[in-house]
Amino acid sequence: MSHHAFLTASQQKTRKKHFIILGTLIVLILITFVISMNTGVIKLTPLEVLRTLFGQGDAQQQLILFEFRLPRIVVAILVGMGLASSGAILQGISRNALADPGILGINAGAGLMVMLFISFFPSTAAAPVYLLPVLAFIGSGMTAIIIYALSYKRHEGITPMRLLLTGIAVAAGISSAMIVLTLRLTPENYQFVATWLAGSIWGSNWKFVLSLLPWLIILLPFIYSKSRILNVLNLDELTAIGLGASIEKERRWLLAASVGLAGASVSVSGGIGFVGLIAPHLARQLVGAKHQILLPVSALLGGLLVLLADTIGRSILEPSEIPAGIVVAVLGAPYFLYLLARLKE
Amino acid sequence: MTVLEIEHVAIGYSSTLIVDDLSVTIPKGQISTIIGPNGCGKSTLLKAVARVLKTQEGAVYLDGKAIHQLKTKEVAKRMAILPQTATAPGGLTVFELVSYGRFPHQTGFGTLRKEDYEYIHWAIDVTGLKEFSDRPIEALSGGQRQRVWIAMALAQGTDILVLDEPTTYLDLAHQLDVLLLLQKLNKEEGRTIVMVLHDLNHASRFSHFMIAMKNGQLIVNGHPNEVMTKENLQTVFHIDAEMAICPYSANPICLSYQLYERDK
Repeated sequence: MSHHAFLTASQQKTRKKHFIILGTLIVLILITFVISMNTGVIKLTPLEVLRTLFGQGDAQQQLILFEFRLPRIVVAILVGMGLASSGAILQGISRNALADPGILGINAGAGLMVMLFISFFPSTAAAPVYLLPVLAFIGSGMTAIIIYALSYKRHEGITPMRLLLTGIAVAAGISSAMIVLTLRLTPENYQFVATWLAGSIWGSNWKFVLSLLPWLIILLPFIYSKSRILNVLNLDELTAIGLGASIEKERRWLLAASVGLAGASVSVSGGIGFVGLIAPHLARQLVGAKHQILLPVSALLGGLLVLLADTIGRSILEPSEIPAGIVVAVLGAPYFLYLLARLKE
Repeated sequence: MTVLEIEHVAIGYSSTLIVDDLSVTIPKGQISTIIGPNGCGKSTLLKAVARVLKTQEGAVYLDGKAIHQLKTKEVAKRMAILPQTATAPGGLTVFELVSYGRFPHQTGFGTLRKEDYEYIHWAIDVTGLKEFSDRPIEALSGGQRQRVWIAMALAQGTDILVLDEPTTYLDLAHQLDVLLLLQKLNKEEGRTIVMVLHDLNHASRFSHFMIAMKNGQLIVNGHPNEVMTKENLQTVFHIDAEMAICPYSANPICLSYQLYERDK
């Protein structure tokens, strides 16, 4: 066998392009980060932000930045990364560009738990708010398990199509249960639940960062280590088997990781939709279908998108806020329609 | 060289058996083709060989070991499969897809080693895809796309290639193109090729060994001279065939035919 140059010029160019895209996304996140640090009722100049970040600010500046704005920014980035990665996995294994974590009932399950919780603790002020993320996470996990069990068939295991259809059905069922529960709520509680469901970065202190971070630290490297397997599962089933992938086992692990990432994210952010759908899709337009590069680009795009949405939501109607989930939906819906129109062709 | 044996297999879904008690040994280093009417179980048999379907009874043996007891990754190092319905996700380039053929030989993150690159470049060269290597697959024609899938299977570096109707949806020239490529791989590399073909004359022209099936059972197998006879075609396909000799391979071909029953 003769020796070939390993990479063609065009492949080296592609590689360079990937690095440029990764770098650009990081820079964009940093720029949004600085803008977001400046967004709020009390204005700080970029210079003051930088000075405070390096420990040179006064007490009030330090309080605003470190206790209010910084954790919120970090949560927004982490949530975006988690949802986008979760969506990228689901789209990969289902070979369906319209799959997103909502389809696994993750948003609905978390929402139902939050609503049950609020119904039984009539006053939100007295309720142990720190229980909410835990309950929301349990809700998403349980819903995902129910959907998995319902779509499991002996001899055949899980087929992505049945998983998607079952997910949509279960999510619809949960949503109708929630409407019934809504009738029991007081107006104030209803407001809280509605804001939660719309998806706002309401968990904006360091405890929420700490409750989210471990999931990402464990699961992101795990899914990156599965890039090669995701590539193969993204082909059709027979080809994947022919290449020697244990598809049933790998799908289960990847689904579990996807539920973990989305569940942890939703538990602090509420039901932010679209991110898990759009970020992986945009990433695929930018860098193609190889998961080694698709996964990190999706995660960065997701982080950027949620941070941007939260920053916009905080600034356009000052001093009140628009939940980040609504901003994402307003930005995302047109893209979604464009996507549907293109799929039709 | 890997040996493939099919012994007393019964394949089917719960109550209905599609293939019943079928035994055949695939000769190594040769081209074997399964023929038969629609619904005769030929694709089902191929899927059992490819370990996609489980056998109810009997087993497929790879080098004397039941294929279901071997690790799927170990099987993938010896046998590559090209399904009929292979589809690639959008945005994937020819090089990227062909590189997936190295899957069973890789571990971890999937960084390509020197040996992997050599296999990939060789597979792209031998299938004549060098100039398309960095193009997205959806931009290629049907014939080129089929070559890409064959290249991926080749990059897997296996002794055995299993193909389910590799010429379907291709025009005449592209059909021949794919079959000539398989013939070349068999001649030059000594690879064992097992496939399902619809076109009897292609099957006869390019095979060393033919397997004729009907209603889930083996009717006859052997050299095209033994399988492609007027009597066998009548039994298997219910046709009254005018036989001739292929000027290229000297094997029998079916010149034209009538329905057998209506004739009488």
